[in-house]
Amino acid sequence: MSGQTTGRTPGRRDVRPLRVSEVTVRFGGLVAVNRVSFTVEPGSIHALIGPNGAGKSTCFNAISGVCRISSGRITLGDVDLGRTPPHRIAALGVGRAFQNLALSPTSTVFDNVMLGRHALTGGGFLGHGLRAPWLRRAARRHADRVAEICDFLGVARYLHTPAGVLPYGDQKRVDIARALAVEPTLLMLDEPAAGMNASETAEMAALIQDVRDELGVSVLFVEHDMGLVMGIADRVTVLDFGRLIADDVPSVVQRAPEVIAAYLGVDDGQGQPAVKTRAGGGFPGTGGGNGDPATSPRPGRDGRAEPDSREAMG
Amino acid sequence: MSDSNRAAGDMVPGDGRWWRIGRVAGAALLIVVLLALPLYLPGEWLKVGTWMMTGAVGALGLTLLTGQAGQLSLAHGFFLLVGAVSYAVLSGPAGDPTYIGFGLPPVVGLLGAVLISGLAGAAFAPVSGRLRGIYLGVASLALVFLGFWLGRALPAVAGSTSSGRLPQPFSIFGLSVDVSRQLSSLSVFGVPLGRDERTWYLYLLLTAIAYLLAQGAVSGRPGRAWRAVRDNETAATVLGVSVVRVKAGVFAISSAYAGLAGVMTAWWTGIMKPDESEVAGSYGVTVSIAFLAMIVVGGLGSLPGAVLGAALVFGLPVALPLLTQSASADIGSGTAFSPIVITNFAYGALIVLIILFEPSGMAGLGRRLLGPARART
Repeated sequence: MSGQTTGRTPGRRDVRPLRVSEVTVRFGGLVAVNRVSFTVEPGSIHALIGPNGAGKSTCFNAISGVCRISSGRITLGDVDLGRTPPHRIAALGVGRAFQNLALSPTSTVFDNVMLGRHALTGGGFLGHGLRAPWLRRAARRHADRVAEICDFLGVARYLHTPAGVLPYGDQKRVDIARALAVEPTLLMLDEPAAGMNASETAEMAALIQDVRDELGVSVLFVEHDMGLVMGIADRVTVLDFGRLIADDVPSVVQRAPEVIAAYLGVDDGQGQPAVKTRAGGGFPGTGGGNGDPATSPRPGRDGRAEPDSREAMG
Repeated sequence: MSDSNRAAGDMVPGDGRWWRIGRVAGAALLIVVLLALPLYLPGEWLKVGTWMMTGAVGALGLTLLTGQAGQLSLAHGFFLLVGAVSYAVLSGPAGDPTYIGFGLPPVVGLLGAVLISGLAGAAFAPVSGRLRGIYLGVASLALVFLGFWLGRALPAVAGSTSSGRLPQPFSIFGLSVDVSRQLSSLSVFGVPLGRDERTWYLYLLLTAIAYLLAQGAVSGRPGRAWRAVRDNETAATVLGVSVVRVKAGVFAISSAYAGLAGVMTAWWTGIMKPDESEVAGSYGVTVSIAFLAMIVVGGLGSLPGAVLGAALVFGLPVALPLLTQSASADIGSGTAFSPIVITNFAYGALIVLIILFEPSGMAGLGRRLLGPARART
């Protein structure tokens, strides 16, 4: 991705670490995220996993400012995201793609991705209504950049097609293109491979690596596909019931007894496995699952417990 | 993204070449016809046209709010009143003992009225920024009744319900709209331009400005923000859009459009007076709902649709008496089949048909008919 058209050239982005420290999120009496701490190092691919209801999406929402944290601190470099109005977080270099597609179905792909440039562009009703020349020049420059990004994601041929009519996988890519249009230093992807088959998942894995390699940005992603997670993540943070149970490189996390217990249930010490009664949850896969998405166990889509089902859709 | 330059250069135009040529030609033809109409049409038909344009300006504002940003307003009638009263006060004669006036030039009065309506809309931000869709619609309804009460409580400003006050006719650089045809010194192709012709051109100019401003905003950054807020507030926020500000802003813009339509209403009726009942009149709930009907009939969010919808909803009740040769005094008299009643039936039926068969209104119908031509290159 050669971004000569904009000020922020790839590789030279000022990528700063994202520090989540002792963060707690409460919904009424329910503690969705309980004193969770982890750090996304600059330029790393960081996975956030856990069974359904573990608090992954709540964590995502807290970082992108959509839900308020009850205590703790989230910082990007030295900026406190918890004290930043949610709509200003994008301008700080946080781009986010959604789990459930959050595109405007009737707007074109171009319009959808161009929305990602909102914080980078200016002009209000009168300026655009009067077609101010400087705004039109800027809009053309940004349109070129949007075309570049769409090309990078392989959706350039749909540029003038309404997003709602595209196949699911392509809509996912448009969503990621929109997150990249923010020119992020931290790219957040919520289940990028959800609903994809093995070859699409492999393409997505390659895409995420390309984004990191070519732009040098950090990637934080939530994913249930353990093949994808273990295959590309530099570091994996595991949540269970809102608590952090593991935070390490994939090979260590895969063998951590707490993680295996969280996904398969714990032995109560009397030879009877007390399986947690909760829908979903894919085993990290100490055997066989690594690198082959097709054989990785997938979580159930239904029966998602609170608060994880309070997805980004609000 | 190694071959990015190719990608940027290859940006495929969405429309075929012939479609674009056809569009430009169509627009040119439309402009010529609209400019030439006053030379051929009699005055009473020109008044039908200017009334349609009044509706079009208001409908444009409402379609930005409701169609583009997904926010509902039933307060359009109220902002029409704010615009009309503001103009009457700003440009009204300064020494009048009964009515307050500032004696400002009509242009200043016009701009001031639009600005004041916009500010009144902006003042509603604590409500319009927080509520969504139908909830805002219900909350905004309160404004109509506030306007109704204020209009009656302040006759020195809004004019009394019995006699009303006269809105200053528009004039600029000594060129007045209010000149009778016999005394007109201005003529085009031997046709003298009287009151109705001049009003036509003034309204045409105002409508064109309103349309072009809306068009520029819809296709640019503000329009994208509106649609993002309409389709998904969370996604809009995460992508850097301040949802509260966008919602309050588009409400204010829509109010300013209604204010302009209000000034046009006052000129058209020739008198500024508040409504005598909550349900009927120029600034009440019925008018607010008529504007909603326009944008639904035309297709939510579509600018040409809003204009067509206005032509239908505001045009029919004034055009029907001319067609049936009945006395125009019948309008609003409430007798069995007055043009108003017929129009209400007509657009009521139309709304039902449209929601059943073509939910995107006349704009959707147009797209369906012209779609094949558009796709062809």
